[in-house]
Amino acid sequence: MSMKKNRVLIFFFIAPTVICLLLMYVYPVLRTVAMSFFHVESVTADLDAWSFNGLANYDKIFHNAGFITSMKNFLAIWIVGGVITLALSLLIAVILTSKIRFQGFFRAAIYLPNVISAVALATMWVQYIFNYDYGLLNQLVTFLGFDKIRWLGTDAKLWAMIAAFIYGSVGYYMLIYISGIEGIPTDLYEAATIDGASKARQFFSITLPLLKGIVKTTITFWTINAATFYLWSKLFSPVQTEGSTIVPVIYLYDTVFGGKGVIERDAGAGAAVGVVLTLIIVAVYVVTDRLLKSRDLEY
Amino acid sequence: MKKLLSLTLALVMVLSLGAFALADDAAEITYWSMWNEGEPQANVIAEAAEAYEAETGVHVNIEWKGRDINTLLSAALEASESFDLFDDDYTRIGQVYAPYTYDLTEMAEAAGYEGYPCFNNQAIEWAGCLNSIPEQPNVGGVFYDKDAFEAAGIEAAPTTWEEFLDVCAKLKDAGIDPLAQDGAYTNFTFYYQLVRHIGEDGIAELRDNGGWAENEGAVAAAQEIIDLVNAGYLAEGAPDEYPASQNKIGLGLAAMVVCADYVTAEVDANTGTEVNWGLFNYPTVEGGASADAYMGANSLAIPSYSEHAQEAFDFALFLTTGEWGQKLADDAAQIPADPTNECTSLPGAVETLLAAEKPMSWCGSLNTHPAWQTMKDMFTELFEGKYETGADFCAAMDALYE
Repeated sequence: MSMKKNRVLIFFFIAPTVICLLLMYVYPVLRTVAMSFFHVESVTADLDAWSFNGLANYDKIFHNAGFITSMKNFLAIWIVGGVITLALSLLIAVILTSKIRFQGFFRAAIYLPNVISAVALATMWVQYIFNYDYGLLNQLVTFLGFDKIRWLGTDAKLWAMIAAFIYGSVGYYMLIYISGIEGIPTDLYEAATIDGASKARQFFSITLPLLKGIVKTTITFWTINAATFYLWSKLFSPVQTEGSTIVPVIYLYDTVFGGKGVIERDAGAGAAVGVVLTLIIVAVYVVTDRLLKSRDLEY
Repeated sequence: MKKLLSLTLALVMVLSLGAFALADDAAEITYWSMWNEGEPQANVIAEAAEAYEAETGVHVNIEWKGRDINTLLSAALEASESFDLFDDDYTRIGQVYAPYTYDLTEMAEAAGYEGYPCFNNQAIEWAGCLNSIPEQPNVGGVFYDKDAFEAAGIEAAPTTWEEFLDVCAKLKDAGIDPLAQDGAYTNFTFYYQLVRHIGEDGIAELRDNGGWAENEGAVAAAQEIIDLVNAGYLAEGAPDEYPASQNKIGLGLAAMVVCADYVTAEVDANTGTEVNWGLFNYPTVEGGASADAYMGANSLAIPSYSEHAQEAFDFALFLTTGEWGQKLADDAAQIPADPTNECTSLPGAVETLLAAEKPMSWCGSLNTHPAWQTMKDMFTELFEGKYETGADFCAAMDALYE
């Protein structure tokens, strides 16, 4: 078959994918970016109904108390939740790859929350563990002789939600780290052991440097998870959006579709929120890519 | 032979297509429902659709869209998507979807439809015409357990704030926590208290320009809530996480809750009990500005481009009035959409709605403020006892405007 025929064949094979990608991914992205510079009420409004307003949508969201609160909550989820989740999952991964007994059981048990619906998990935390009257935590607190705590009060609700989310996320990141650790040749550890390196030294001098690529991936994944955080916030504020649990995607949703008793809609401002979140994810990826260079490491 | 067979088959195909087209044109409407299959409302609607088809020959094709129907409707109506009937919050139908909805005035007049004046007037004020028919009316106020009141020796529902506090004291003396309060509805309770003092127009003024600390009514409203909390009249743990506190009424641990009428069905379902519910209007305050009650509705509307508007309207009336309207009210424990029907789940609710001229909104004078989410948390903090005085709370509210 000639090269020309080959090219035609290749074109026909990739055309459906390219067309789908253009229609379902590139077009919505471009439309969203364009929309963020226009005043648009409805997300599906005709172009005739769009009116250019420059950076006004960005100005609006960055001067809106709701969006600022949502960004603060996002930062708390991303930084505090991220540090705890990634550190905890790495620690568990290291422990479970060090030939301890029942590692299969522990792996399954820690990963289990990931196979349970997030709705069921959040309901369990809200209605049972954090419940004021008969919740697990308050039973423990009263058993120890202290007064009951309002775990879902305005001061504590964000942290309660983050704690529940961490519980549901650790298993996923643990598996990623385990796969990374198991890819490191065992002879490196054997040589280090012969040289007298302690387990801690082996972790910091072998495991961690060789996991740079994996760490970069998990940070990017966590950033995407934190930026698109939605379901847990909805389940911790099931009736109406609350300041203590609002996150950017919830703000976006309420801005585009309105909330309970709210009829105002602003698809342009919603698009601006989407663009800001995308830029944050890209920025985090670029920064981590620069900081955690793993290309010079081969094994 | 082959030619004859081909000709016959082609003829059959053409005739079948023609028959389908005719049948589709004459006897089917598509209804996008905000309910989920299996819900009490959905069960009645499905049965009503079958009964309607048996009576008129018009098939109702129901698509269960669930509560997030509002995220679909704008796009669908703008794109003239093919459906003939839908339901959603009547505030959105009256304001957001109004340009894409059918003017029902003539059909309503021809059918002798009257409904509730408060909803019809409001729909006309928003949309310029009657563009929706209530399917599930709601009324707000203080919902209480009549048996708890009787046990505490309370003979009459309170009408003023002083009487309300007396009722709370009697309930507490009888060992029943007076008021259940979930965090999700603290904004609604405080809004009610504020409306009583300065009315919705006064709240709109505060929303736009601030000045909470200088507003005597706002300070008094906040102080009254603080006093209520300090007197120990909230249920234990309140403000609790929805629906933990309101469920305490079903568990016999609390007596009252400020909400809309759907709270009764929720509590009964959550706790597996049948509370002997009563309703009274939120108490008034001395020299106050308003005695209005919150009223809302999920309503039915028809897209302006529907080719089966009359059939859709007839089905909407079939479902919400008469026999099926009563069944909908009974099975879903809701206020009947037809005021000539009886409200078995909450006696007196129909009369309350009929007596109202203009409904109070759901925090409508505040929920468009840019700091609304923060305000809601502050209302919850008010019930959590975080503020010493009403003046402190109002000063904190003013700080949101800086």
